[in-house]
Amino acid sequence: MKKTNDTTIHKTGLGARASRRLSNTVIYIILILITCIWLFPFFGIVLESFRVETTQQVPYLFPKEFGLDNYIRLFKETDFLKWFGNTAVMGIATAVLQTVFILSMSYVLSRLRFKGRKGLMNFMLILGMFPGFLTLILIYKVFSELGLTNEMAPVGLIIVYCASSGMGYYVSKGFFDTIPKSLDEAARVDGATRWQVFYKVIMPLSKPIIIYTVLMGFMAPWGDFMMANYIAHQTSDGMNVAVGMFEWLSRTNLNTHYTMFCAAGVIVAIPVVTVFLFLQKYYVEGVTGGAVKG
Amino acid sequence: MATVKLTNVKKIYGKDTVAVQDFNLDIADKEFIVFVGPSGCGKSTTLRMIAGLEDISEGTVEIDGVVVNDLQPRDRDIAMVFQNYALYPHLTVFENMAFSLRLKKVPQEIVYEKVTQAAEILGITEYLTRKPRALSGGQRQRVAIGRAMVRDSKVFLMDEPLSNLDAKLRNQMRAEIILLRQKIDTTFIYVTHDQTEAMTLGDRIVIMKDGFIQQVGTPTEVFDMPLNLFVAEFIGAPKMNTFKTDLVCEGGKYYVTPYGAKIEVSGKKAAMLADKKVGAREIVLGVRPEHFKMSTAGDPAAIPCTIKVNEMMGSELHLHVETATGDRLIVRIPTVSLDDEVRHSMVYGATIYVTFEGKVMHFFDPETEQNLLV
Repeated sequence: MKKTNDTTIHKTGLGARASRRLSNTVIYIILILITCIWLFPFFGIVLESFRVETTQQVPYLFPKEFGLDNYIRLFKETDFLKWFGNTAVMGIATAVLQTVFILSMSYVLSRLRFKGRKGLMNFMLILGMFPGFLTLILIYKVFSELGLTNEMAPVGLIIVYCASSGMGYYVSKGFFDTIPKSLDEAARVDGATRWQVFYKVIMPLSKPIIIYTVLMGFMAPWGDFMMANYIAHQTSDGMNVAVGMFEWLSRTNLNTHYTMFCAAGVIVAIPVVTVFLFLQKYYVEGVTGGAVKG
Repeated sequence: MATVKLTNVKKIYGKDTVAVQDFNLDIADKEFIVFVGPSGCGKSTTLRMIAGLEDISEGTVEIDGVVVNDLQPRDRDIAMVFQNYALYPHLTVFENMAFSLRLKKVPQEIVYEKVTQAAEILGITEYLTRKPRALSGGQRQRVAIGRAMVRDSKVFLMDEPLSNLDAKLRNQMRAEIILLRQKIDTTFIYVTHDQTEAMTLGDRIVIMKDGFIQQVGTPTEVFDMPLNLFVAEFIGAPKMNTFKTDLVCEGGKYYVTPYGAKIEVSGKKAAMLADKKVGAREIVLGVRPEHFKMSTAGDPAAIPCTIKVNEMMGSELHLHVETATGDRLIVRIPTVSLDDEVRHSMVYGATIYVTFEGKVMHFFDPETEQNLLV
């Protein structure tokens, strides 16, 4: 009787393994297909940007002639460098300011207990659910009165991007919540002020979340179109890459500038990709090992 | 080096959760005080109020005569060792220990001197360049103690520093803390739930329950004269046996009559009963396991009982026995006092006769649970 049982179990085990292997194969095939479909446009844009033989859209993928003509024309014929500079300034300024705001906000919400803390957190969470463009017209009105539109748009946009950034506290608050409170307490007993606890103990332990916050702060203005378009729509001087390229393309013929547009896309992607590659190693390393008994 | 004085200290969480109340205590300079009690008794909360990590709801805490209620932890000149070590994981052992000195902008030579000196005392010199994650639990706890040592602070607070260590390491570290105490001559406040630590470390012990102090005294005082039933059962291991019985008075002598036996109260306890003019009454009697001894069937002082569990501890036997009325008692018998034959006969279900010394019992009021002799 016992023997029969063993055999049954054994068979079931074999069958399970085979069917698992089959389902894994199917899943992987689907995933690879999706990846190819997803990667194709990026691949296509890079190839288009090096196409020399024509500036139009063509029904084949690989260029017959490779060259940097599109890149050279882009810088010569448009204000691309200006737009790129504007975008970079906005991206960097926003990344720095947002990180300061978000991390201080999150730390306070994670560590200090004060009246109305819960209410404030819920309020901000709900407020953050309203799409930003609801305030578009009002912001434009206020900014145009203050002279923060058109040429001054980058300054205005930095304010827009940073003003409500503290409401994005939840991810980093979640991270701070995982750092044992006793570390703060030990530092406070050791003679640290709240601020010293924050930058001498908590910040060095928070590299992953700092980097995440910086990247998110950088990405938002880098790819923004809607808000930037409203605030800088009249003057090339105040535009970011997305708005600049769109304005330029809408004023010219797509067929004569399609490959240049692709070249611009590639250039815009380079800083983001570089920053990601450079910073990703910080995600990997766990930094809190050995702090407390775990 | 400082005195600490707590006056009517109370801690309320939220609206009505009272964690500590009526806490009054004077801690002398260089005294080693231990707060002990079961979890949730308020001992850690009290310590954290002294440290400044919790607000004080009512009452005052004074360090060296200065009320510190509204001072930040950093302004109280205290050092603290945490249960989970709380080492800074991004700093080396050296920098962990030097952290407070660096904040005070102490010159580098002095930092170096103090840290290496503390490391030497604690035997962690070779780990100074390591990060905490590369240390074992015992080593981490030493670093945590070292970090507190270099401060030369007025009061040294320890919040269950040994409870994360395994039993063997805990015993070793306990002995080291006793040695350490002789080297760093300061006021210690130590929190633990372990009565052995409390008894071995403390000059005085503060026993707490449900936010109230139950008794304050030297280890000998709380062991020999527990103020109430809770203290009697909490201090001493295995715990004191307590059972209801009658106190009777015959011909000027006191007797207790547990489980049909009749045992005379003798020595100091008899005199104290007479002094307090305690009459015949129902009492809760407390007898420590080690005060029992073997007896025989014919002895009028013998209590017959059945063995339920026999724990062989090596030098002694811990017998969990059941009386005729179904009460459970723990009896501790030195192995050396028993013949091999008797020892081997002590198996599950065997009947034995035990009795106890007349001079070592404790008398409690069944209603108030207070010691009748205090």
